[in-house]
Amino acid sequence: MRLRINIKGKPYDIEISEEEGKIKIKVGGKEFSFGREEEEKTSIAKTSLPKRNFSKKEIKAPVTGVVSKIFVKEEEFVKSDQKILILSAMKMENEIISESNGRVKEIRVKENQSVNIGDVLIVLK
Amino acid sequence: MEIKYFSQLKSTNQKAKELSSKEAKPWLVVVAEKQTAGYGKEKVPWFSPQGGLYFSIILPKSKIEDLQTLTILAAWISAKVIKDNFNLEPLIKLPNDVLLNDKKVCGILTENVIGASTCSAPTLSRVERVGKDVKSSVIGIGLNTNIEKFPKELENIATSLKIELGKEVDNEEILKKILKGLKKQLKTISE
Repeated sequence: MRLRINIKGKPYDIEISEEEGKIKIKVGGKEFSFGREEEEKTSIAKTSLPKRNFSKKEIKAPVTGVVSKIFVKEEEFVKSDQKILILSAMKMENEIISESNGRVKEIRVKENQSVNIGDVLIVLK
Repeated sequence: MEIKYFSQLKSTNQKAKELSSKEAKPWLVVVAEKQTAGYGKEKVPWFSPQGGLYFSIILPKSKIEDLQTLTILAAWISAKVIKDNFNLEPLIKLPNDVLLNDKKVCGILTENVIGASTCSAPTLSRVERVGKDVKSSVIGIGLNTNIEKFPKELENIATSLKIELGKEVDNEEILKKILKGLKKQLKTISE
């Protein structure tokens, strides 16, 4: 069976077949087998993926500027849409609000500190 | 363009932000005859008695870079309206103040609400991602039009069109000219 799937705008051709009780999936020239005998290999493949800590959420600077006010404290629980801090840039005041719930694990910036776009400001957990 | 007039507000930016969160349409303009707690950058008070022109506009969702450009252009538009209509020589103090005879006559403050998404988005460039995160924006303009006198502490740093011209000006006409210019400029920079 051939399929074409679209992931984030990029098309992938996939071929799925079943041979000797194993499911074979071909993607972009690579073949993956799934079956009892392959459990070990599958497990190795999974552990070789880069580790990501999904329980840690980093709030990054969406724009280069100066942190003019911080509204939260470490260990405080923040809710989605809660005001986190004000980032001033080119006389624009950017109110940064959280888009998820979580406890403030770490505040990596101070008031009046300059930050670049992409810098981690606050870590939630 | 809908304009909401108020006889008094704490701050037109504050009111515009409040209306914006209640899904008010872009280009809604909030005008107050006076502000009781008008402010500029870092909440520095903006002297806002009766007679001045104080208004804020809810902007359409735009990229943060476009909003930065618009803030600077707002100063240029305000200065141009002053120069073209009153034959005065305003000076723009970048990024967003307008001076007459070295004294402040107009100030602009843009306030954005940005959602700090904690998810990574590797397929989007930073600029594209930031543009998507701007939830709402308001731009506020305070123009010292028909203010006769400033308090002692502001006398040497602030002025008004009335003080410079020796006569009153039409706030409504100035408002319409600035709004027209802003809308045109945002359309140009967004394209």
